[in-house]
Amino acid sequence: MSARISLLLCGLLAMSVTAVAGAAEKGASGDVFPFKVYKQTLDNGLKMVVIPYDSPGTVAYYTVVRTGSRDEVEKGHSGFAHFFEHMMFRGTEKYSQDAYNDLLKRMGADSNANTSDDRTAYYIVGPVSSLATMMDMESDRFQNLKYKEDAFRTESLAVLGEYNKGVSNPVQPMFEKMRDLAFTKHTYKHTTIGFVEDVKAMPGYYDYSIQFLNRFYRPENATLLVVGDVKPEQIFEMAKKYYGGWKKGYQAPKVEPEPPQTELKKAHIDWPNPVRPQLMIGYHAPAFSTTSVDSATLDLIGQLLFSESAPLYQELVVDKQWVDFIGGGPDFSRDPSLFTILTRVKSEDLVPKVQETIDRYVKQLADQPVDQQRLDRIKAHLRYSFALGLDTPGNVAAQVAESIAATGDVDAINQRFAQYQTVTPADVQRVTRATFVPQNETIVTLSHKAEAPAAKGSQGGANHD
Amino acid sequence: MIDRKVLTLGSLLLTLLAMAVPATAIEVVALPSANSPLVAVRLQFNAGSIYDPPGKEGLASLTSMMIGQAGTQKRSYTDLIEALYPMAAEIDTNTDREVALIAGLIHRDKLAEYTALLKEALLTPGFSQADFERNKEQLVATLTNTLRSNDEMLGLETLQDEIFQGHPYGHSPAGTVAGLKSITLEDVKTFYRDHYTQGSLMLGVAGGYPADYVASLQKDLAALPQGSKARMEVPPAPKVQGRNFTLVDKQTGSVGIHFGYPLPITRADADYYPLMVVNSFLGEHRTFHGRLMNQLRGKRGLNYGDYSYVEYWNVPPFTSLPSPNVPRREQYFSVWIRPVVPVDAQFALRAGLYEVQRLRDKGLTQAELDLTRDFLINYSKLWAQSLGDRLGFYMDSKFYGMPYYIDEIESRLKKLTVADVNAAAKKYLSTENYSAVFVTANAQQLKDTLQKDEPSPKTYNAQPEADVLEADKTIQAIKVQPTRIDIVPVAEIFEK
Repeated sequence: MSARISLLLCGLLAMSVTAVAGAAEKGASGDVFPFKVYKQTLDNGLKMVVIPYDSPGTVAYYTVVRTGSRDEVEKGHSGFAHFFEHMMFRGTEKYSQDAYNDLLKRMGADSNANTSDDRTAYYIVGPVSSLATMMDMESDRFQNLKYKEDAFRTESLAVLGEYNKGVSNPVQPMFEKMRDLAFTKHTYKHTTIGFVEDVKAMPGYYDYSIQFLNRFYRPENATLLVVGDVKPEQIFEMAKKYYGGWKKGYQAPKVEPEPPQTELKKAHIDWPNPVRPQLMIGYHAPAFSTTSVDSATLDLIGQLLFSESAPLYQELVVDKQWVDFIGGGPDFSRDPSLFTILTRVKSEDLVPKVQETIDRYVKQLADQPVDQQRLDRIKAHLRYSFALGLDTPGNVAAQVAESIAATGDVDAINQRFAQYQTVTPADVQRVTRATFVPQNETIVTLSHKAEAPAAKGSQGGANHD
Repeated sequence: MIDRKVLTLGSLLLTLLAMAVPATAIEVVALPSANSPLVAVRLQFNAGSIYDPPGKEGLASLTSMMIGQAGTQKRSYTDLIEALYPMAAEIDTNTDREVALIAGLIHRDKLAEYTALLKEALLTPGFSQADFERNKEQLVATLTNTLRSNDEMLGLETLQDEIFQGHPYGHSPAGTVAGLKSITLEDVKTFYRDHYTQGSLMLGVAGGYPADYVASLQKDLAALPQGSKARMEVPPAPKVQGRNFTLVDKQTGSVGIHFGYPLPITRADADYYPLMVVNSFLGEHRTFHGRLMNQLRGKRGLNYGDYSYVEYWNVPPFTSLPSPNVPRREQYFSVWIRPVVPVDAQFALRAGLYEVQRLRDKGLTQAELDLTRDFLINYSKLWAQSLGDRLGFYMDSKFYGMPYYIDEIESRLKKLTVADVNAAAKKYLSTENYSAVFVTANAQQLKDTLQKDEPSPKTYNAQPEADVLEADKTIQAIKVQPTRIDIVPVAEIFEK
């Protein structure tokens, strides 16, 4: 399941996860991100971010490639960034797939990778005593990946299996339909795992996969991110040795911008198994930005409407009990994407009433300035929520990886929280009026129909394992 | 069954900490960590679904929700949420077979404020009719919509229902639809009074809390009835005879498979540790070095993943590390084969059985033992990285009456020999007696195929390695010989 949607289901913002600094080095006072961040860039363009963290003996070693399903610009190749993530585990001349796995096993690491719209993240969390081995094996596969066509074809079936495992959940075909309908030009039209017909065609694209590696897996497009019981200077020195020979050559994809939507779009999915009706609503929303306050304002609007303390949530879930969950919020994305709402409704006849209720609260936000105290409570909630999630080096690295995906830098976290402080009731009204309008809206509904064909949907995010 | 010979630093620490607070009826685990800005509070009651009265399945879960997701005597649920919200705090609840957990993680700046709300919710629950109806409805929706709409979770839950049929573990903690419908608000009040007692409580606190915090909380919690420390007697799981298959029939594009059987041991037993090594070698959850993953997915492209377990695994499938606070006195062995295309279902089952049998027959080599042991000793340290997880694993250890589990893994594993590990494989692995669950469309067709038990040759889209083709000759011809195959329409699962 897509990380975004799973967060959405929990009624959380994409960024509102986290926790805290123990005796680690502290960042500037007042910043929500409490750790000192060390940065350097190698001559070949590889960015390095090191965050010392009080986790005795443990390190989180991340490689973030700023290529995700957004970069799949060629027709017929949706899902390839994720497929390629799988291929990154198929070995090199120095470390075969089995040798690579044995090394990870020997160190007792938690290791995997995952792909989203905007990035692919590879991670190893393990003993800091194995740091040199980690750097050796990771730098090796990013520079010297080598796999045969048979392995490529076999791995494509694991990707199809990944598609198949998720498709029994109605949310996934709904999300696929939402993206397909809401976007006409931009690559956010497809979800990260891709259109199913493209997934099925993957085995035939061995040569394309080599091209993919050469175009995107280049140092200028990657960040080495190390969080844990480490010394920054030591990491930078080691990285020169291991990554210094990685050749430049990144070719940025030409991602077409999405033209403004001009009319309300709707789709319905008949579901073959008995299930409560579900409603997904998407509105085009601005990209993540630390200069314009609009995307930060949408984070707050997400809380104003869909947090458990929101009056809309209280009316629908607690008082009237028309839905058993509702969540919503904007994507944390590099390009303009969607503010998505998802709810599961008790019965078919209530679906229009639920829609009317959502519209009523949205209208209220547009028409009346929100109470400043309420806004302050939301800002406090977001800050504490973020702090509560920074409790392991892996969690810290995962947060930073999202910031790097959206902006290329870690500073966006503190900048975003500083932005929250500046959002006014007038901003909330202005952004609500601009975003939540019918010509910007896409609605996908799903309900049971006995004779419907078995699910053929897809999913948003995807993992190597 | 409990071997107490090994006293590790962890267990010693646990004993000392437990002694550091005044003796009351309440068991305490306290892990102070002065530098931490966070505090984890966990209240674990012997109030899991085994205590559901027959015909009222779901009562334990519903009662915990009436504490954590409901109003208090002086505050509506809306007001409680409103008070917790600016601190980003929650009163989380999770009910499993044995225990119900009420948990929170809070910034220490807000500890006093949060603790007051937590105590209010626990000691003076409101038990309003509206909260009752809402929470009951949530549980019904979990069963009929969430679980039935997720083939993998559906299979996991159904397998447990099968393995523990007729046993107090034999229904999902979320209950059954019929059970939930028969529960009254009065039942919840009675359950709360009988099971939320000092005797049944284990209080866990970890992090940067003030010195007098635990004693003070303990004193306040003495407002709970005294109650008994004794847990309900749980009989051993029923013995599985033969190969009992359940085909859950629903409209779906692929076939998910789980199989397993009860184990007579838990992590409190010496035999658990050699079996833990065997299991890790066979199918450590979401890693790439388990045989099942490597052979079924890596070499054959059968599906997305294949794993095995010697304990209940409660966390959602997309997380990699185990979670604490779901201790169980009865455990089971299981294999999870993630959805395969229908034409491969029979072969996938055979391939899973082949790997289990192969390990039982051949065991591990010294090199395989060494590598797997190294892995587990380091890997298990990652399970307790966060404050809450560390606390949870200490609480589990107290539940099982054993030294700190994470330390125990290291000390036990270091002493294992190949003979120990291979004896455990022989003793506890079986392909003779098990339950299997398939979540599938066209169940009748799959039933016929399984009953005929004819060879199931596998075709590939690429040239597999020679050893794969060689093993396939054996796998495709394995005689499964199902003893019983039942087809259950999905709409009947979790009904009663």
